[in-house]
Amino acid sequence: MIRRFPAEPAAGPAVEGYLAELTALLPGPSRARAGIVAELRSGLADATDAHRSAGLPSAQAARAAIREFGDPARVAAGFRAEIAASQARRAAVALLVTGPLVGLLWIATAAASHLRIGLAPPWHWTGTAPGLGAGIYLIAAAAGVTAWGAMLSIAATGRLTRWLPARPRRAPTAAAVAGYGAVSADGLGLALLAAELATVPGKLSLLPAAAAAAASIARMLLARRAARHCLALRASLT
Amino acid sequence: MRAETLKGHLDGILLAVLEPGPRHGYAIMEALRVRSGGRVDLPTGTVYPALHRLERAGLVQASWSAAGGRRRRVYQLTPAGRRALDTERGTWRDFSAAVTALLQPAPLPVTSP
Repeated sequence: MIRRFPAEPAAGPAVEGYLAELTALLPGPSRARAGIVAELRSGLADATDAHRSAGLPSAQAARAAIREFGDPARVAAGFRAEIAASQARRAAVALLVTGPLVGLLWIATAAASHLRIGLAPPWHWTGTAPGLGAGIYLIAAAAGVTAWGAMLSIAATGRLTRWLPARPRRAPTAAAVAGYGAVSADGLGLALLAAELATVPGKLSLLPAAAAAAASIARMLLARRAARHCLALRASLT
Repeated sequence: MRAETLKGHLDGILLAVLEPGPRHGYAIMEALRVRSGGRVDLPTGTVYPALHRLERAGLVQASWSAAGGRRRRVYQLTPAGRRALDTERGTWRDFSAAVTALLQPAPLPVTSP
């Protein structure tokens, strides 16, 4: 991933036209795009210099450099796979980090509420709305899917990259699955909270419940956005 | 030599070009041409995504540098990259020895009268 890139003076119209054509073929985010374009611009300047010192006049040297860099569609296709991989990895890391945090807020809510849960498994809890135990198992399953998808996506985009067969769609697919898993887990958590509020409102500790609900809503929105972004990146791969 | 022929070996080739020291993208391309005696001539633009992939895999690391008046992204091998290059070399030696032996014209069959 590109972290810092400097502003480069614009090149001649032919080179800028080539870069614009290439940029149009790259998906977001614009930061990643700008880093790639800055690197290619400096490479094209080097190539132009090389052709100029071989005796070509400036305009022809720039055109030769563009020919040498090749079809923008082909160069963009290579970078699309790279952008998809790094974005999928980023989404997966975010999901993996935020999951336990939101989970802890929900556990704190349950512990602070008068549900007499102690250390008992959910089916032994008393004073809760019916179906809470089953709901918690569904959440655990959704959280498991999220963790699995996120870890697969991270594994497929890191050091293991070169040991796995090159399948550029794997990472964005897994990250999208993880995103929708997180949406389901958080959505179920909120639904259970609503059920508790509707049936046994007095037993809930409202402050931690509000914090957990806010965290879940935020994560749900972000996870949904990340999942859609990953699906769009996946669709951009040819 | 076309990109299709090099497929599967480009990673190793790029690592080998970076073995003597750090280089920026265009210098890597020039080194590819020079070291292959002009036989390797890929579209230069396709080398950059390959370098980014190696970076993501932790085999090279890149940083912007302003040496020589132009900002360039310079790549260098990581320790993992050196190990990967060693592995790549060993694999290639075995593979090319086997294929060389197999492509050798077979000795004429001994015909019995």
